[in-house]
Amino acid sequence: MSPPRKLREVIEIEDLNFSWKNNHVLEDVNISIPNNQLIAILGINGAGKSTLLKCINKILKPDSGNIKLQSNDISDLNLVELAKRISYVPQSVLTSFSMEVFDVVLLGRRPHISWRISNEDRDKVSKTLKFLNLEDFAFRRFNQLSGGERQRVIIAKAIAQDPNLFLMDEPTSDLDLKNQIEVMTCIKKLVSKKEGTKSALIAIHDINTAARFADRILLLHDKKIVADGTPEDVLTEENIANVFGVTSEIIPKSKSNPLRVIIKDKTNEYKENTEEE
Amino acid sequence: MDNISNQHIQNSKIQILLIFILTVSTFLLAIFALGMGSSTNLDFLTTLKIVLSLEEATTLQSDIIWKLRFPRILMAIVGGIALATAGALMQGCLGNPLVSPLTLGVASGAALGAALAIVIGFSISGELAYLFSFFGLFPGILYWPPIEFILFYSDSLAIIVNAFLFSLIVVAIIIQLGNLRSVSAESYILVGIAITFIAGAIVSTMQYFATDAQLSQLAHWSFGSLSRPTLWDAVLIMIIVIILMPFALIRAWDLNTLSLGGDDFAISTGVDPKVTRKKILIFSALMTSIVIAFTGLIGFLGLAAPHMSRLIVGNDYRKLIPCSAVFGALLMLLADTLGRTLFAPIIIPVGIMLSILGGPFFMYLLLRNRSGF
Repeated sequence: MSPPRKLREVIEIEDLNFSWKNNHVLEDVNISIPNNQLIAILGINGAGKSTLLKCINKILKPDSGNIKLQSNDISDLNLVELAKRISYVPQSVLTSFSMEVFDVVLLGRRPHISWRISNEDRDKVSKTLKFLNLEDFAFRRFNQLSGGERQRVIIAKAIAQDPNLFLMDEPTSDLDLKNQIEVMTCIKKLVSKKEGTKSALIAIHDINTAARFADRILLLHDKKIVADGTPEDVLTEENIANVFGVTSEIIPKSKSNPLRVIIKDKTNEYKENTEEE
Repeated sequence: MDNISNQHIQNSKIQILLIFILTVSTFLLAIFALGMGSSTNLDFLTTLKIVLSLEEATTLQSDIIWKLRFPRILMAIVGGIALATAGALMQGCLGNPLVSPLTLGVASGAALGAALAIVIGFSISGELAYLFSFFGLFPGILYWPPIEFILFYSDSLAIIVNAFLFSLIVVAIIIQLGNLRSVSAESYILVGIAITFIAGAIVSTMQYFATDAQLSQLAHWSFGSLSRPTLWDAVLIMIIVIILMPFALIRAWDLNTLSLGGDDFAISTGVDPKVTRKKILIFSALMTSIVIAFTGLIGFLGLAAPHMSRLIVGNDYRKLIPCSAVFGALLMLLADTLGRTLFAPIIIPVGIMLSILGGPFFMYLLLRNRSGF
């Protein structure tokens, strides 16, 4: 027998509105995220992807709407309770001070410990470092790492936090191609565990990375979710033209390859149109 | 446990051992400093024996050690602990390595309070006392001998109380600032700089109209010296430090997240940056103001001791707070001992010694360790 629907949802967002003074950023956003899903949010710059993630994590306070985390209203949860269930990876972490990578990842255990670090916490950090192939960096200084390496360390910190929901804001933006695939594969592995109760909501720019790894894609445009479904349902030429203002060609999913989106050169298209005239 | 976890435990043990070595060094230096002075010098072993009551001291030796030098050395230790800890806390909660207890205007507030007391004889405590006595309020308390002495008769205490109260006014401004919705870490620093300029301008104006004697007194206050505080002043500061220190230590994890990744990062690990910042700033401003009210301006320690400690234990505040505290005590004690003995019988104030000797050493350490803090 399947569990009741309510319990399967990690988070439910109802009629969420957010504005910066008079500038509306999000309008009546409704999202429901069940367990074991990797969900990508796509949209142009300034569409409100980061704002949505920050509202869920209580970094920003929405104007109205409900956000329920495992049936609890997040406004009733204090930040420590929230951090036990949600971990957030910001776009970048700029720091004036430095720590060893191990200690940075250990910060993910902060919501679970009072002061003293237990061996279990250390082991969790150690396992996470190995999971993301960061064991060689364990005792290097965080600010001596490259942008991509730092990003992986911050993702490791989020994983060590052992939450139910990962919120990630452009987690692969500083990574090279190989690292993008490695990191996304790790996140996919985490949320796909059959016995697990984890999900991820990831704001991302690269449509093809989203198509390859996401179970579901949300298209955020003009303050609203304009499409919500599997990559095959959402990534259509029409949707991409409407949201990103570019023409594209969709190569459907095959046995060996995920769905791919080829963005056409707008200049060539313009030339073709003028030649026809 | 695997190799990485074991290595982490090993590194922590080494860092704790280094803090312990620093603590023992401070204790040994304190014994040495008790024996050294501008007039009578005792060797280390004799001083140690006298301190441990293993040897009978002459009345002169006993007076010099316990009445003359001990209050000064205790003040150096507790003052160093307070200022260095305050510096580490402020740098961490504002995520800025350039911050020191002077940056937030707390010291400028104290300087303004002292200048008002010295130059125009204005003291908040005195004015309040006269106001209360004029209206007949709290007559019993006002004429209780210790309060009466502080409020009406002692000039030097008026300076201390004024310096402290004006620092508290700055702290109150900081708290009010923290209540604003959109306040950021940078806002605190900018407001601190603004307060420093305003207080500096008022002090300069008063210096312009001051008499030679007042100028001399003001200059002497601003040097930062350990010759003024008495044993009871040092004990009072020690009690305050002992009370405030656990509050700082329990915030160590919060400071780790705030100093590393800023506000969004802190929230994502369960830390409320605004509340934490406000509380930490109040602790550290109190620690600073209580010390500089008694000693005068000692600025360098709060900036340098935390950075020097970072070179030893890194930026983990669970170890950085104790390490900065011990380093602060050691540096203050070293600077004061050198100030007392290098050009004896002339005593160079500890504030000056710290800047002259510590400045180049600090630059050397930072240049040697180019990876930053």
